[in-house]
Amino acid sequence: MSPLGLGVALILLGGVMPLIFRRRPRLGGLGFQAGLFGGGALGLYWAGSSLASSGPLAADPLSAWFVLLILAVGVPASGYGVRYLASERGHGSRAGAHGLFAVLLVALVGVATATSVGSFLIAWEVMAVSAYLLVIFECDKVESRRAGLVYLIVTHVSTLALILMFSIWSGAAPNASFAALGAAAPHLGPRLPWVLWLSLIGFCIKAGAVPVHFWLPGAHAAAPSHVSAMMSGVMIKTGIYGLLRTAQLLGVVPPWWGWLLVLLGVASGLLGVLWALAQHDLKRLLAYHSVENIGIILIGVGTGALGVSYGRPSVALLGFAGALLHTLNHGLFKSLLFLGAGVVSRAAGTLAIDRLGGLARSAPRTAAAFLLGSAAISGLPPLNGFVSEWVVARGLLTAAGGQASPRGAVVVIAGLGLIGGLAVACFTKVNGTIFLGHPRDGAVRYGPDPEPGMLAPMLALAAACVLLGALPMLGVVPATKVAELVSGYPDSGVVGSGIEGVTRLAIGVLALGIIGWAFSRWLVRRQSVAEAATWACGAVGLTARAQYTASSYADPLLTAVGPATGLRIVRQPRALSTHPTDVVLDGIARPIWNRVLSLGSRARMLQTGRLRWYLLYVVLTVSALLVYLGTKVRQP
Amino acid sequence: MSLSSVVMYLLVCALAPLLPGIATRTKSLLTGRRGSPVWQLYADLAKLFRKGAVYSRTTTLVFRAAPVVLIATSLLAAGLLPLDGRSALLAFPGDLVGFAGLLALGRFALVLAGLDTGSSFEGMGASREVMVATFAEPALFLGFVVLALATGRMSLEEMLGVPLASVWSGSAPSLVLAAASFFMVLLAETSRVPVDDPATHLELTMIHEVMILDHSGPDLGLILLAGSLKLALFGTLVTSALVPRGGMAPFSSGLVLIAGLVVIAVGVGMVESVMARLRMNRLPQFLVAASALAGLAVILELQRP
Repeated sequence: MSPLGLGVALILLGGVMPLIFRRRPRLGGLGFQAGLFGGGALGLYWAGSSLASSGPLAADPLSAWFVLLILAVGVPASGYGVRYLASERGHGSRAGAHGLFAVLLVALVGVATATSVGSFLIAWEVMAVSAYLLVIFECDKVESRRAGLVYLIVTHVSTLALILMFSIWSGAAPNASFAALGAAAPHLGPRLPWVLWLSLIGFCIKAGAVPVHFWLPGAHAAAPSHVSAMMSGVMIKTGIYGLLRTAQLLGVVPPWWGWLLVLLGVASGLLGVLWALAQHDLKRLLAYHSVENIGIILIGVGTGALGVSYGRPSVALLGFAGALLHTLNHGLFKSLLFLGAGVVSRAAGTLAIDRLGGLARSAPRTAAAFLLGSAAISGLPPLNGFVSEWVVARGLLTAAGGQASPRGAVVVIAGLGLIGGLAVACFTKVNGTIFLGHPRDGAVRYGPDPEPGMLAPMLALAAACVLLGALPMLGVVPATKVAELVSGYPDSGVVGSGIEGVTRLAIGVLALGIIGWAFSRWLVRRQSVAEAATWACGAVGLTARAQYTASSYADPLLTAVGPATGLRIVRQPRALSTHPTDVVLDGIARPIWNRVLSLGSRARMLQTGRLRWYLLYVVLTVSALLVYLGTKVRQP
Repeated sequence: MSLSSVVMYLLVCALAPLLPGIATRTKSLLTGRRGSPVWQLYADLAKLFRKGAVYSRTTTLVFRAAPVVLIATSLLAAGLLPLDGRSALLAFPGDLVGFAGLLALGRFALVLAGLDTGSSFEGMGASREVMVATFAEPALFLGFVVLALATGRMSLEEMLGVPLASVWSGSAPSLVLAAASFFMVLLAETSRVPVDDPATHLELTMIHEVMILDHSGPDLGLILLAGSLKLALFGTLVTSALVPRGGMAPFSSGLVLIAGLVVIAVGVGMVESVMARLRMNRLPQFLVAASALAGLAVILELQRP
């Protein structure tokens, strides 16, 4: 049995522990944790050794990379979840939630390691359904049930698209294993556009790219925090896995596919971060940032695909490697932020950013971890988000280097820059409003940092963000190996070139920061250090309500961008608020759904509930089939 | 890294505080006043570094750390530019992302420090500062794209150094456009007229100044020093795009850079004396215009055979 198989078994065993020891939740939680940590460690060992070795028996690097992501986020999230759910009251079954979490983890591993269409689709469906059941954990809330329903419908549209895609594709292959699909790829002929479009629809829905992102904010905000971390950090990445696997199996893809992916990436990146800026519920805001980061990843995937289409190996390698790296990095910092959001909701009892303020005083460690995650997601050096954006940007710059297409793709770098700038704006808003300043609402009471068992997973994820930022080769080297598989080109050292420069930059930031800190403290200490109230330009008696809120902070940027992007700014005499509107959900998806419902109610006419009518249906169907078969046989 | 690049780095860092002085002096002379001496900032810094500090009771560690982060990132960003026209202290492919990232990190820290005070004024400043900086970001990147397309290189050292000198005459129109765009970004990033007015006296009309209202003593000194360094950084971008220094000897290349920086500081002062600042809701348009200039240059470069 391979370490991965053993690990999966251990995870499942851990998952049933809380159900067995239902009466003794502490023992059940312990068993759950032991199973997930043990199984996770085995799986990580498997993924790490698969990525490190290069023999013919080594597992597929693309699968190993995603298993690494799934477990690197899943294990800390499960440790957090045990304690997070321990204090939940009045919602669904806790033991059931733990069991489902283990099932979700195993299904994700299944998606990443499946080698044939059948097992892939089964794992895909188990993943979708277990995630649905976790989203409606707080099923006493109507918005949780509604978000769950939207998610369930949309995810099945995605599954449907994938079933269609794989059936069209495997029609050209002798069997439905991925290897056979890959071998059949050159003979797809007129089927190829169908496969490309359906893969784009199916996988982009799962990834939450614009314009099929609308299920994501609701579902991710409704789930318990550690499940949100798993969904936002990991589950949406199965869409990216699918796109990369499709690109790998197809070998050569037409240029329009890459251009379309880049375009979708830019749209998702910009709109995602703008909606996040207008959103003031912390978890929904983080969910919109997932749309943004999926955009960055799609820019990378698209760049890679363009490199393959136009025969530019270094562009392909850099694009895919950047996308893969950002997939992992986003998993790490986004789950850190969602776990932090869980702490905020525990400590303050609300996720409404505009009611918070000054939380860093009562929960300093959470504030520090959240700040670090925010800097990482904004793509700031010396953290991991910077490294992956750097690799993607280099892919675009390399495209500019040659004389041939896709030279013009380089302008996308300006989009990356704008996305980065907006992310800085959004995360200064989040940190500044929640953790700094004065409490904005006197009615909100603040609790302290959580117990060590909830803090440790966050600190572990934060440490991973620093490590992958300061020592980028740790991530870039294995990502390059995976990119070689996806692109089909061997790497001649182009991806890793300049990586020591990034390390030097990181060391420079840290060293100069420490020296500067010592210097500034020395300067200050030589003289008096006084404490006073904040200078209010001579005004006396300014209250905490006079502070800028998240809405007013975001207002100048949002006003400048305007309502074209689906933002709504409400100005009232005593209050200002900004909201993102779900154009696609309200304008397109809901009308379609209502139409489906009305058609369904019309079809109800057939259901009379009388036996003789049903017998008539049976007789009619059988005779129709007989007539059909009879006419068919007669033909030569 | 070479000896001349180290010497130029130290020289630029040491002379940077002259630039705001030159700009202010130009404005004074053009508006018929005598004005403060050009080395005024040195005197201010010496005074501030000798002072103690007053911290608001609302603030946390973030407020104290922000000036340090700002100065550290500005100093490092200067190390990415080929100040002697040939080599930078630190260069690697794609380091332009690092340049923008470092400036963003400094801004991230300073904006958070503004929000840390819990003051409505500083929140206002922080909010405006990120708006301006966000809209400046695509213009800066498009300017870099022009340089990358013209030279076919990926590090700032090469995009502004020797390879640029060899292709300069062929791409002159687009490089001039890029330089103009860089200059507009400079005005925004260093909080000068027409984006921001360093001399305004009313907090409600300020952007950068109101955000750092609560910083005092050495902390304020570090922020002012970083501001002058930023002027030198963007000035170097403008000068390097306009005057290719890759072929010059280190001494004359350094001289050209310093002359260029002085001219730019004078230019900033002249803009300040002939223009009023723009209305706050016009600022995005100003920066979109900067992006459009650079975008035009990108199109020119893409069309070039």
